Amino acid sequence: MSTEPNIDPLARLGGIEAPAADAAARTRAIAAATAAFEKESSPGAQGKRWGERLKSIFPTFQGNWIMDTRIPIATAAVALLLLPLGYQLYSTTSMTPPVVQQPAVAPAPAPEPAEMGEEADTAAEVPVAAPEPVMAERAKTVVVPQSGAASPTMDMEAMPAPAPMAPSLMATGMAAPADAMMAMPEASGDAFAAFDEQPVKSVAEEPVSTFSIDVDTASYSYVRRMLEDGQVPSPDAVRIEEMINYFPYDYAAPEDAETPFASTVALYPTPWNPTTRLLHIGIKGYEPPVAVDRPSNLVFLIDTSGSMDEPDKLPLLKRAFRLLVEQLSDNDTISIVTYAGSAGVALEPTSAGDKAKILAALDNLWAGGSTAGVEGIELAYQLAEKAKVEGGVNRVILATDGDFNVGISDPQELEDFIAQKRGSGVFLSVLGFGAGNLGDDTMQSLAQSGNGNASYISSFREAQKVLVEEMGGTLETIAKDVKIQVEFNPAMVSEYRLVGYETRTLNREDFNNDKVDAGEIGAGHTVTAIYEVTPAGSDGALIDSLRYGSDEPAAGGNSDEYAFLRMRYKLPDSDVSQLIETPVTAEVAYDDITSAPADMRFAAAVAAFGQKLKGSVYAGDMDWQTIRALAQGARGKDEAGYRAEFVQLVDLAASLRPDR
Amino acid sequence: MPLTADAADTETDVADLVTLARAGDRQAFVSLVSTHYDFVYRTAYRWCGNRSDAEDVAQEVSIKLAAAIAAFDGRSKFSSWLYRITLNAVRDMQRARARRGRHVTALAEVSPQSAPPEQEDAAATRQLWAAVRALPDKQRDAVLLVYAEDLTHAAAAEIMGCREATVSWHIFEARKTLRGFL
Repeated sequence: MSTEPNIDPLARLGGIEAPAADAAARTRAIAAATAAFEKESSPGAQGKRWGERLKSIFPTFQGNWIMDTRIPIATAAVALLLLPLGYQLYSTTSMTPPVVQQPAVAPAPAPEPAEMGEEADTAAEVPVAAPEPVMAERAKTVVVPQSGAASPTMDMEAMPAPAPMAPSLMATGMAAPADAMMAMPEASGDAFAAFDEQPVKSVAEEPVSTFSIDVDTASYSYVRRMLEDGQVPSPDAVRIEEMINYFPYDYAAPEDAETPFASTVALYPTPWNPTTRLLHIGIKGYEPPVAVDRPSNLVFLIDTSGSMDEPDKLPLLKRAFRLLVEQLSDNDTISIVTYAGSAGVALEPTSAGDKAKILAALDNLWAGGSTAGVEGIELAYQLAEKAKVEGGVNRVILATDGDFNVGISDPQELEDFIAQKRGSGVFLSVLGFGAGNLGDDTMQSLAQSGNGNASYISSFREAQKVLVEEMGGTLETIAKDVKIQVEFNPAMVSEYRLVGYETRTLNREDFNNDKVDAGEIGAGHTVTAIYEVTPAGSDGALIDSLRYGSDEPAAGGNSDEYAFLRMRYKLPDSDVSQLIETPVTAEVAYDDITSAPADMRFAAAVAAFGQKLKGSVYAGDMDWQTIRALAQGARGKDEAGYRAEFVQLVDLAASLRPDR
Repeated sequence: MPLTADAADTETDVADLVTLARAGDRQAFVSLVSTHYDFVYRTAYRWCGNRSDAEDVAQEVSIKLAAAIAAFDGRSKFSSWLYRITLNAVRDMQRARARRGRHVTALAEVSPQSAPPEQEDAAATRQLWAAVRALPDKQRDAVLLVYAEDLTHAAAAEIMGCREATVSWHIFEARKTLRGFL
């Protein structure tokens, strides 16, 4: 497996060199350390020399003075004792910068060296322990009440990079007002692929817009957690299409599996801009009726390495799979393969009717265990082949916290292997657990190679959503390489802007090229794309019309069509794409947003929310209250409560970054 | 780059700075921290595998130094001592992190940070790193000190505060754990 079989693989550890330290972080650290050092060594400031002074007073006065004077001396002594203590108490309140606090009673640390190791330990603990309550206190005042169970430690850690704030606080001497402090998107410690917002495009210059669909929803979960933690997520973390697609929409479903999805189009006024309209494209994947029970052959490939031994990893995984097992019926087959240092079969292919046996095998999994055997992923695919069902779902489900030590170490080789197996009809899905070393990119690319999707199971609720409510979509791909192309009619539309999908744009020529990969749609998935369009002749146009441009509508275009929607897709077992075409006519236009269906209004509210959170230049000035009202009025049935949760999220965002 | 490159030629300078800093010389302390910040940061980066954590640790260690410098007795090399403080800081951070698992999940969800892509077979190396970081603390420390920091077993033993044989044993255990991976 190693690329250099003759060299000790551990020697490769020397290979990664740290990127250069950030100069700003370096300066901050040194400044903070200097401040701490000054505190440490300045005499009297923290009252730490008072012990010495007392000692020097007592011997001098003893014997020289008569008995009666002892009372004033005692008083003086008490005063001397209390003053520094009082100062200490005063200075440990929130008035003080939190960087370094001396413990309340701290004579200079005896420099008598004991065992070197221990001392470094204890001495090092002291200054870090102290700032904790201070930070926690301040964090509490600004964090909007949420779960309620947050411990002081958690609160402190929810505040990103506490220490770098210290110098500025020290400079002003007071804590900054809460909103000013929270308004800036905090550095979360995460790096995001930076992307620019889709610009407004002129229909005369670029009448065709092409992109790949995206059914991922991770960005919404991320934004939700950040807001619940009292932080404004960084703009690059907000991917609007993922936020919109998190919610299920009640679009018209296709009749049969031959046309795997149907589109719903609507045109309605933009809530954040009176001069433009939103072109709403909704796609709903075919959902096989419950009566048709396609046999499934599922192989769970489970990471049981030691790192999985955390509450939000293997134990959560077990509970999640229990949910899934409950969903399956007698003609489904389940196998379990584990891998850690080595791979083994934990459960031979077993009918899902035999739930007791499956659950027993699941219970027997424990992190850190490993069984001798062949490499994990090959073993999983062997079992999948062994129990393969024709015309059914054959899928390997890889559950991991990021340890892709499945037997093939080269990622490209692994992708190729998965892609090759995909050809034989066995697909792959990836479930991510826990945190720390998980490679989001690796997960995504593996799942894409395997025509599956990658989901993060961060909580039991998320497991419920992915494995029960959206099980069809998770397990069954109904169309692959789905691309969307919209051609605007310059006679009706002068400008357009695609909301979101920044990372999914395709070239115009890619649309008809079946070699170009695009997104997959699972059974019952809904996908939504929104364009903000400026009607021709509107005074809201941002781009001046071309002096030498032609006003002629495109040849062959129907003059009352706003746009023409083309969608290309491949059936799961086909390599040739098919085309669905739909004109967008005045029939689907609503004059008033309140008359548009609730789904459309809700999606518009989510788009507005995302754009405001990002600080979009196009929709930044819609106020939170309007967004909230729009979402509130468009909740519809909302059986799972996702939309109600969204409304609360708007409130949170509003309190974290109030309208000015 | 192993620590010795930093420390060897300037060892006497460092000793002087330490003495001055212990006596309360601000200038000496600042230059001590400045010259060692990069070393701490690099070490922390190897241990944590991402930049922001490494920066947090480096800052924390810098601040800790202000108080801890008085306790440095000069019996071990300053760099070994600093190693130990850095290791402790990394471990503290990771423990704290385990307590707030939920938050970290959120952070990991959208974009884990990746190791520098420019290196050849960086991906394989990255996976190896991930596996090593998942080892039990002692084993991980031993492996990283010996292989990533290029120290001898004896030097690693000094930093870890155990005997040389114990370091060798931890590495042997780690190899066993990593067997499927190597």
